[in-house]
Amino acid sequence: MSKIMTVDILSSIKGAQPSETVNKLFDVIKNANTTNNNSFNNNHNNASSLNDLRNDVVINSSDAEKQIIIENFPKEKNGYLVVSKVIEE
Amino acid sequence: MESQIHKIHQQLMDKEITCTELVQEKLNLLKANTNNTVNSLLDKQALKLAANVDAKISNGETIDLLEGIPFGIKDVYMVQGTYTTASSNLLKKYKSPYTATAIQNLLDAGAIPLVKENCDSFGHGSSSENTIFGAVKNAINANLVGGGSSGGSAVNVAKDYTVFSIGGDTGGSIRQPAGYNNVFGLKPTYGRISRYGIMAYASSTDCVGPIAKSIEDIRIVLNAMSGKDIKDQTTYQAENISQENILNSDEIKTVGYFKNFINTDAIDNEIKADFLVSIEKIKAKGIKVKELDFFESDALVSTYYTLAMAETASNLSRLDGTNYGNRIEGKNLKDTYSITRSENFSEETKRRIVGGNQVLSQGFSDEIYLKGLNLRDQISDNFEKDFKEVDIILSPVTPNTPPKIGDSLKDPLAMYLSDAYTVGFSLGQLPTLTIPKGTATGLQITAAKNNDELVLKFANFLKDTI
Repeated sequence: MSKIMTVDILSSIKGAQPSETVNKLFDVIKNANTTNNNSFNNNHNNASSLNDLRNDVVINSSDAEKQIIIENFPKEKNGYLVVSKVIEE
Repeated sequence: MESQIHKIHQQLMDKEITCTELVQEKLNLLKANTNNTVNSLLDKQALKLAANVDAKISNGETIDLLEGIPFGIKDVYMVQGTYTTASSNLLKKYKSPYTATAIQNLLDAGAIPLVKENCDSFGHGSSSENTIFGAVKNAINANLVGGGSSGGSAVNVAKDYTVFSIGGDTGGSIRQPAGYNNVFGLKPTYGRISRYGIMAYASSTDCVGPIAKSIEDIRIVLNAMSGKDIKDQTTYQAENISQENILNSDEIKTVGYFKNFINTDAIDNEIKADFLVSIEKIKAKGIKVKELDFFESDALVSTYYTLAMAETASNLSRLDGTNYGNRIEGKNLKDTYSITRSENFSEETKRRIVGGNQVLSQGFSDEIYLKGLNLRDQISDNFEKDFKEVDIILSPVTPNTPPKIGDSLKDPLAMYLSDAYTVGFSLGQLPTLTIPKGTATGLQITAAKNNDELVLKFANFLKDTI
């Protein structure tokens, strides 16, 4: 992924261009004074405690839930649901 | 205490009205309404639930306080089997496979959902004009916007179409429409109510909250929805807030306000004057008032939008017409993703996704995104410092009165800046309540993290003071 990707490719939106309005907001951030603290080293994170993680178990969906998930799928082929695939290039 | 919920509960118990009549009356009002508040009605299920409540009452059984109380739900919440569109083209036929925890808690308490309510698409907006269901019209003056993004919810409560509604607040989306329509709206402390089943906009500030016509109703609904949820690991176990506890506000000795919010040309003269009058009334009650320094509005708005756009770009990347959504086929898979998203997202949503990908991309992330995170930390530090000196921070909800329908879409920068007074408290993850008192668009009461009770106490005090 070393090549430069434009925002329309990154966003999967045809012809997308950065907006002037949004750039004005970003300029305020660029010109703001920040402290030297490393942002990843602060006291305001929302991480869960290791002691508080839920059990790693498979929870089965109800039949009603499975049925609606299938209904929501836009595409079916030979009786199978068509899922996304990773595009590598 | 004034409370629509207590009043209706008593009427049901005394058999003055039946639950079916009540629900049918509200459904009729919603159906006929011209304010564009409804995305879909849940009429069949609502009438079925109402009949169950009536059967219980006629059997001489007692019902719980929320049992049979009709309410509305912003159309970003999953409710199993209902359309959940986020007011977008992309999801206009999407059905929820499961129910959001907050909504499930209300269903378990017996409340009856009537309607999925109009809002800005994916929460992207401050006026409820960015929607495929038509701009929401203000409850007081239909030429003005209903506010956003939870505009349909606030208007339904103001018009008595629902007894309360559940909105979602990321940067002010409950508090601002509550202010624009003269009702109460609470954004609780982040993590007090589970986010499981709300369509994610900016996950680090998304909050579930009630909109209602009284402080007591806000308290009842808040209690019913709160609690730790294993499906949202940012939740915490909060204690129930009792009615008795919010009646006495003696512990509130000092109130602060941000002087730069008031001493600026950006605020409407009348809102400024009315706010200062409110401050004088509070002083007259013997409470000390302190002027506080805070970040400039443009820094707050820019920090909020930078982080919110980054998060929404990531959250909405899954919407490509594969597992769900209005898929439009292209010449290959990549093209299919791209056409589906280009054709189905609104201009405002696209603007935010593109902005988010801009700040997250290599070369820009240090200069903008990480700097934004750093500013957010400074804002949080500032709040921590302030709440060592004051118990409550009071501020206007908005710098101006609601704009005319059509104006916000023409000028997105003005719309972003109209969030100046609400976004800071979102970044700080603080509990904040809009009360329809003090200025034309109300007052915002904020306390330190996890201190939602103090917010309700002060609201109760202000109700009688102003």
